[in-house]
Amino acid sequence: MSKMLAVIKREYLQAVRKKMFIFMTLFFPVLMAALFIVPSLMVARGLGGKKVAVIDGTGALRDSFAHHIEPAAPDPKKALSGGNRGQLPQSLDVEYADAHGQSDLVKTSKPYLDRLYLDKKSENGLDAVLVIPSNAFEGSDARMIFYSRSSTDLFTQERLASVANRSIQRKRLTGRGIDPNVVDTLTREVPFDSVQLSRSGQQKKGSEANFIIGFIFAALLIIPSFIYGLETMRGIVQEKSERIVEVLISSMSPRQLLTGKILGVAAVGLTQVTVWLSLIAAVGAFGAASALMAGFDISQFLRPIVFVYFALFFILGYLTFVCIYAIAGAACNTDKEAQQLVAPIQMVMMLPWFIMFAIITNPDSPLSVALSLAPVYGPITMFVRTLVSEPPVWHILLSIAVSIATIAVFFYVTAKIFRVGILSYGKRPTIPELWRWTKVA
Amino acid sequence: MSVVLSVRDVVKTFGPVRAVDGISFTVQRGTITGLLGRNGAGKTTTIRMITGVFFPDAGSIEWLGSERDARDRIGYLPEERGLYRQMKVKEHLLFLAEIKGCRGSSVAPSAERWLKRFELWDKRDAKVEELSKGNQQKVQLIGTLLHDPDLIILDEPQSGLDPVNMLLVRDLLRELKEEGRTILLSTHMMAEAERMADDIILIHKGKIVLSGGLDEVRNSFGRNTLQIDYEGDGAFLEQLPQVKRAMIVNNGAELSLVDGADPQQILEATMGRLRIRRFELAAPSLEEIFIEQVGAETMESIR
Repeated sequence: MSKMLAVIKREYLQAVRKKMFIFMTLFFPVLMAALFIVPSLMVARGLGGKKVAVIDGTGALRDSFAHHIEPAAPDPKKALSGGNRGQLPQSLDVEYADAHGQSDLVKTSKPYLDRLYLDKKSENGLDAVLVIPSNAFEGSDARMIFYSRSSTDLFTQERLASVANRSIQRKRLTGRGIDPNVVDTLTREVPFDSVQLSRSGQQKKGSEANFIIGFIFAALLIIPSFIYGLETMRGIVQEKSERIVEVLISSMSPRQLLTGKILGVAAVGLTQVTVWLSLIAAVGAFGAASALMAGFDISQFLRPIVFVYFALFFILGYLTFVCIYAIAGAACNTDKEAQQLVAPIQMVMMLPWFIMFAIITNPDSPLSVALSLAPVYGPITMFVRTLVSEPPVWHILLSIAVSIATIAVFFYVTAKIFRVGILSYGKRPTIPELWRWTKVA
Repeated sequence: MSVVLSVRDVVKTFGPVRAVDGISFTVQRGTITGLLGRNGAGKTTTIRMITGVFFPDAGSIEWLGSERDARDRIGYLPEERGLYRQMKVKEHLLFLAEIKGCRGSSVAPSAERWLKRFELWDKRDAKVEELSKGNQQKVQLIGTLLHDPDLIILDEPQSGLDPVNMLLVRDLLRELKEEGRTILLSTHMMAEAERMADDIILIHKGKIVLSGGLDEVRNSFGRNTLQIDYEGDGAFLEQLPQVKRAMIVNNGAELSLVDGADPQQILEATMGRLRIRRFELAAPSLEEIFIEQVGAETMESIR
């Protein structure tokens, strides 16, 4: 027992002192949050100052393309959901050209189109050109044309089309003698909030935010498992390649060694989660307050029980993965070999991550339920389900039981393979050979 | 003298290779036993079975004279360095003692003593990887001794050591022996074994070809070896009809004679060609015996 403690202590202290641990513990959550929130904000707001020319064959839409002043500090909640569609975003720099009465719009737009090819930094460069035909108001076959160098600039395209269409509709209506104020009233879009009802009767608002939080937590849950799993694998390979394992195995049984290693790594994971949860608790008040200022009330999405689930499923998923990596480490002699062995397994393990979108949007679909009750996939899928939905308690308990059983089986197999593999310095075993190893010793 | 370790008919095969093929020997308390053999003879595999790293396929290994867990009675210095590069020296030493069931705090004073003796005290907080190979070897050696083992198993302990440190290790082994500890020393450096060992076990191709007390073994080969120190070119000595085999070094030679040869004839042959400083008929050196037993065929095949 004291031998195992020595191994646990060593694994723990060595891991916790590494820069990787400090980085993962302190900066990773921030990084993840930044990684998911910033792009959404950028999509919504930051077109990064695009320059666009509008060639208006009707000559009547100048006002619509003059800048509407957006609020200085835009509402991030709206930013996340896409903002006000009818308005021109400030980041679009529009150059308006009145082409009313020009017979050949193609010819008129030619110099503008040429400017699309200019260097982006040059003053005359353009990112896109929108051509509005002269018969836009009455022609039934009238079509606007959007030119740009990147066909993927859907956001600018959609925004410009939307602004142009709104103002064309407005002009049509006012052209029939309807009061502009009445037009505004009649065409005003009604915004909507999405509300998720939970069993306990609470209401959650803002599914976009839920979506982002789902991804952040899923990343926090799964990525450390991969990173520490790899570390464990490398550690075992190193012990083999440097023959430390001979000293270890001449002092304790392989099972003691493996148990010590895995418990040590588990303690590292627990420390990480504890620090994360304490950080959340410590900055909770501040964080919630600033989030509130930024437009959403975090407590709406995160029930306290979610943190308990997080810690629980984190450890379960973590131990499952660490066992898998320990097998690879014990079976191989070099990092490279081990990487090759785990690469395909890793892809299989990553499955829930690849279909995270489907799980978050449909947490109670048969697929999500099946994955959440499956070995290996259970912890992350189940956690995401508890985060965005409220699965039945028996689902949660069953998932936990399946995970514990999985870990027990993996541990048993790992110990067997460890016994044989840790001292085999030959070439990398094939999967059937690994299988045979579990039967000897 | 009492037997500490008894190895009986152990066999270990790796696929088609019988690495150890029915080896039996005993190790006496308070002695140094030299486990000799060429690279790949089966020394390390034998040691790994004794240390419990491998299970023998057949045969038994028995520990006598103590109730202590066999694993904890051994201090094992593996052939290649077996240390965590990232760990600090002192921390690592305490870890090595802890996995032998000692409390880190109880061995700390003796760790300090050893580190000072090996001139490593000022490097106690350095990472292992920052140390030279020789210093790493010394750390490993301290780690082998810290938990106060009965049987110390050293696999090529002198590799990577400079002459001063080799002397240090040699003195240390003698000292440990005087304390009543038992040492199993695996080496292919015959001169070293000759200096240190009380008993030798010579392994070749997984089998014991020779074993017993060092003097006993040497004498059993009879006094048919000539050791000569001289000035001049002694290359011709090898060609003499009385000489079975010759090891010629600078200004010296060890000649093993054919049966019934008269050393006097050799002395006569050297007259006028070499200036003789020493001329001694002796039991063969361990190196000579080694080559005789396991090396001759190989030497022949090389030639």
